Amino acid sequence: MDTPLHDDTGALPGDFAIWIFIFAELLVFGVFFLAYAFARANNVELFNESQLQLDRISGAANTLVLITSSYFVVRAVAAIRDDDSRRCVHWLAAAIGMGSVFLVIKMFEFADKFSAGISLSTNTFFMFYLSLTFFHFMHVILGMVILAAVLFKARSGGYSAASHIGVETGASYWHMVDLVWLILFPLVYVIH
Amino acid sequence: MQFQSQAVAKPYFIAAIGLFIGQILFGLIIGTQYVIGDFLFPEIPFNVARMVHTNLLIVWLLFGFMGAAYYLVPEEAERELFSPKLAIALFWIFLVAGALTIVGYLAVPYATLAAVTGNDLLPTMGREFLEQPTITKMGIVVVALAFLFNIGMTIIAGRKTVINIVLLTGLTGLAVLFLFSFYNPINLVLDKMFWWWVVHLWVEGVWELIMGAILAFVLIRLTGVDREVIEKWLYVIIAMALITGIIGTGHHYYWIGTPEYWQWWGSIFSALEPIPFFMMTVFAFTMVNRRRKEHPNKAATLWALGTAVMAFLGAGVWGFLHTLAPVNFYTHGSQITAAHGHMAFYGAYVLVVITMISYAWPHLQHNAPASNGRAQLLEMWSFWLMTVSIVFITLFLTGAGILQVYLQRVSDTPLPFMVVQDKIALFYWLRLWTGVIFFVGLCLYVYSFFAKGKETLASS
Amino acid sequence: MSTSRLIRPCTAVWLLLVILTGVTYLVGQAGLSGMAVVAFVLITTLFKSQMVVDHFMGLKRARPFWRGLLFGYLLIVCGMIGVAYYVGLTH
Repeated sequence: MDTPLHDDTGALPGDFAIWIFIFAELLVFGVFFLAYAFARANNVELFNESQLQLDRISGAANTLVLITSSYFVVRAVAAIRDDDSRRCVHWLAAAIGMGSVFLVIKMFEFADKFSAGISLSTNTFFMFYLSLTFFHFMHVILGMVILAAVLFKARSGGYSAASHIGVETGASYWHMVDLVWLILFPLVYVIH
Repeated sequence: MQFQSQAVAKPYFIAAIGLFIGQILFGLIIGTQYVIGDFLFPEIPFNVARMVHTNLLIVWLLFGFMGAAYYLVPEEAERELFSPKLAIALFWIFLVAGALTIVGYLAVPYATLAAVTGNDLLPTMGREFLEQPTITKMGIVVVALAFLFNIGMTIIAGRKTVINIVLLTGLTGLAVLFLFSFYNPINLVLDKMFWWWVVHLWVEGVWELIMGAILAFVLIRLTGVDREVIEKWLYVIIAMALITGIIGTGHHYYWIGTPEYWQWWGSIFSALEPIPFFMMTVFAFTMVNRRRKEHPNKAATLWALGTAVMAFLGAGVWGFLHTLAPVNFYTHGSQITAAHGHMAFYGAYVLVVITMISYAWPHLQHNAPASNGRAQLLEMWSFWLMTVSIVFITLFLTGAGILQVYLQRVSDTPLPFMVVQDKIALFYWLRLWTGVIFFVGLCLYVYSFFAKGKETLASS
Repeated sequence: MSTSRLIRPCTAVWLLLVILTGVTYLVGQAGLSGMAVVAFVLITTLFKSQMVVDHFMGLKRARPFWRGLLFGYLLIVCGMIGVAYYVGLTH
């Protein structure tokens, strides 16, 4: 039923430039994750103790939110491959909506930490927790901006089954944002 | 040359090269003073010569950037420059102000210069690289604003290309960040913090945008590769440059009294600063390999590829060497820093300006796409002489730096600064002689502008 | 995605990811720790991430090189996190 154009060539979905960006971003996050992991190895007790103050429910909920939003984006790509711009727009809107839910939950979490007097200088764990999650937070915003741009173009009929590289480009970036959170959540919230 | 007004770039390029010569001469003077301490004393003390060396570098690069913008913007916007007269007026204002400042540095003691220029009213002097008298700084702001107005109006009225927008963003950032040179808080920590907003965010932030735009412009012309492809690369490169460069400012905040988290932020993000430079290298070589035409200006292609490689080595690799906080704890402010500074400035900014000059000059001077074969050959010789020299200068300084760090800081029985300086003097001598070869390369470069081709010689 | 199937493949992947996230969360809630638990969590993470790469990003249909590159990345990151955890245990 759907034989997408770009899949036969074995090329990466979307614009190749976004992939260079994605690889670079993954490298940044990878370095950041390993810095956390090895800083923890030298301060196991401090990290374990401080981690108890995290709100794991928020973290898990946000994981589900991002997974779901990624799923919506998959559906948006499938829709445009069926040449259905309208459905593509709806799925994109849903994905962006989930992105906003993520931001709201995260902001409650941040507010909670700040009101507890926690800052970047509290200790190494919280330095990492705040830095990593804030850095990721900014990526969620950027991803939403990209998805919104795709949405507006899709709404004005800018994409079709034959030509929708832009949708795949935005989708790939959004999945990357999801991907790094999938590692961030167990690393910072669970492993101790 | 497609537009008459592009010709205003010419005096800018000439001034840039003239000041470049001055910069290298003062480099040779301080190189000599490293090993013969009282050379030219008391006429030109080391601190003054060093100030002239670094200030001339900045000023001639600015001349180069402005020249590049005046050449590039009309062609990209597909219209004449908003006001060529303004461009020429600004050229003279900037040149005279710059010359007066240098004369001031050399003719009177720095304190006198400060007093004469009314530094008391708005103190901004006395900080490395920002030594200019306050009135000079104000002059720079006025020139920068008028310059931005001129090219901004050209861009607004003309075709808006990615290259023009990136260049304009970079130049605007350059001007805006320079305003922090007027902020001079009493608190030394704050002073240093904001000092880096000018120094670091220039060379590891907005200047990279300017560099990317110039390189992209030249590569489109030289290779005939589709604009869309090159613009896409440009987007990705500048995005990475900004992400890593802006937060990477933290690598200057390790030991100046800022909170500890900067050691992590600075280490992680600045460790990734080589990425955009690496991408620039891949970009340049990919574009040249995919070229759709053989451009007659071989020299310009060489300069462009040289820029990409040397920027990656100097800014990327040599920056990475000492950017991690645990390493920097030992290497801070040593000859390693000097090694990095020399290769990074040469690789990224000296070469990109020369690339632009090399590409534009034949159009400006001969109304031809390329100079004669002999001139190009000389240019290529000068490229190799200067580049190999800077590589060796960097290696010698790195050797000096490693020894210095070990003897003075790591060793169980650390030696005093001056004792260590004596022990590593051999490296300074080697650096000095390599500097002389660099100067020969520069002379050759200047000579290439006057070299006549065989055909021309025969006809005359 | 064939409409004849009961459930779209991507929906199945989504469901699997949700369940595995729940498992990871429960491991955290139960306060479990130790090398075996962490190994389990990391392998789960690796699997989840690769599911996103293969089915959401769609790299299953891309050239094996790209898929391998991302798998290598995930393997190194998850593996090194495990190594770091082990180092922390022995300290």
